[in-house]
Amino acid sequence: MTDAYVRGTGVTRTFGDVTALADVSVEIPGGTVVALIGPNGSGKTTLLRILAGLLSPTDGEVHYEGPSATRPLGYLPQEPSFRPGYTTAETAAFYARLADDDPSELLERVGLGTVPDRPVEALSGGMTRLLGIAQALAGEPPVLALDEPASGLDPVMSGRVFDIVEALAADGHAVVVTSHDLPLVERAADRIVVLDRGSVVAADTPAALRERTGGPLHETFASLVDAGDDVAVRTETNR
Amino acid sequence: MTGRLDAFWTVFAREIRGAARNRTYALLALALGLVVFGLAGTGNGPSSGYVPTVVDVLLVVEVVVPAVAFAVGYRSITDDAVRGTLDVLATYPLPPWVYVAGVYAGRAVALLSVVLVPLSILGVVVAASAAPDTMVFATHRGVDSPLLFVRFVTLTAAFALTALAIAVAVSALADSRRRAILLALVGLLIVVVGADVTVLRAITGGLVDVDVDLGTILGLSPSSAYRGLVFETVLYVAFAERGEFVSVPVAAAGLLGWSVSALLVATLAVRGRRA
Repeated sequence: MTDAYVRGTGVTRTFGDVTALADVSVEIPGGTVVALIGPNGSGKTTLLRILAGLLSPTDGEVHYEGPSATRPLGYLPQEPSFRPGYTTAETAAFYARLADDDPSELLERVGLGTVPDRPVEALSGGMTRLLGIAQALAGEPPVLALDEPASGLDPVMSGRVFDIVEALAADGHAVVVTSHDLPLVERAADRIVVLDRGSVVAADTPAALRERTGGPLHETFASLVDAGDDVAVRTETNR
Repeated sequence: MTGRLDAFWTVFAREIRGAARNRTYALLALALGLVVFGLAGTGNGPSSGYVPTVVDVLLVVEVVVPAVAFAVGYRSITDDAVRGTLDVLATYPLPPWVYVAGVYAGRAVALLSVVLVPLSILGVVVAASAAPDTMVFATHRGVDSPLLFVRFVTLTAAFALTALAIAVAVSALADSRRRAILLALVGLLIVVVGADVTVLRAITGGLVDVDVDLGTILGLSPSSAYRGLVFETVLYVAFAERGEFVSVPVAAAGLLGWSVSALLVATLAVRGRRA
């Protein structure tokens, strides 16, 4: 495993009286996929946004320790949305120009090279997410923070998105991803951080987490999180 | 590595492209044209000259131009915030002030197109229909001139840009489209009447010495500053008897100050969203 590109230490975040994260420490090494999983409201997105520098921690520190880059970090929001009235190519060109990148190459990397002239409002949910990933890749940022990249997608499209995630890590990127899709997480992640009620309840490799119960990952997941929580995860059995 | 100028042009070009494809701007220009031509025609200004035409349309332009500016700018940044685009842009080498400058400049081109085209056409109509002495290119007292109308159009453009800056600031402060509408209405009221009312309250409340400060303090309200500049540099030029309505340097500085302050607020608001 390579050195950490992003390191969060003792991260705490509160919103008024609500503590979304409490003393969370996590590191995202280059060339790996780190998955943040947990029930709804466990703090995954908050942690991702803090790691991405989009949200300040109330306490604790986050440091970027990766290679020098014009754009150190790429970000895919949970529900990517683009200004209507523009084509896929024009949208990619906007972001590419900001990061001095090639828009055509970005679209090719995510498989949207065949629909450059399609208006963004005419893209399917999966294609919109792929365009969001293309945007996140602009400028070749060493770190990629992807918030639920496969949420709401059909199995084929979800698999395609995680194929891209794996390829990015293979290229040396540090990828941190939130997801409820445990089978895909199990397949793609090098390390899984399980969050519950704003705290890390486990952080290990998929194999090590599986060994805790001897069954598939969702059994370990269910044993780790509070049974009273409203758990919303996709598992092998309900996919 | 991309520079700030490249980043500015990228944002600016996106705004221009969006405006060029938005037919609403053409409708706004048409509506503004109908209003100013209707007023000018009713007052018979075009057949009398440039200054009479300015007198005919000034009062309504004072209200309609800020309204158009707010229509152009009130969602300029809110839409990017609601879509999550501001979060995404925060990961790019795009400082908040460059983003705000690009958005403002792009919308400014759209706004000036909407405002200046009808007014310029009105000027051409005056030139074609007014008495022969309006073709005299001179600005000495008592003579009507196309240059006076050019001054009016220029001042109107400056007023429109000030109102747009305030609209962009309002847009940066709003966290939803509904709130953007409400804040835009508040901002429009401040520009059109609120600042004037504050000035009057300051005068009637004895906070300022009318004899000494009236011309100065009027210059601090955007609409009073605009009105005062039009009176001082367009209308009073053509009349023998005149009185100082507003301090021209203060009024000019007032419009500039409102614009710069508003864009600063917008920049701080965009930066604040990143924390």
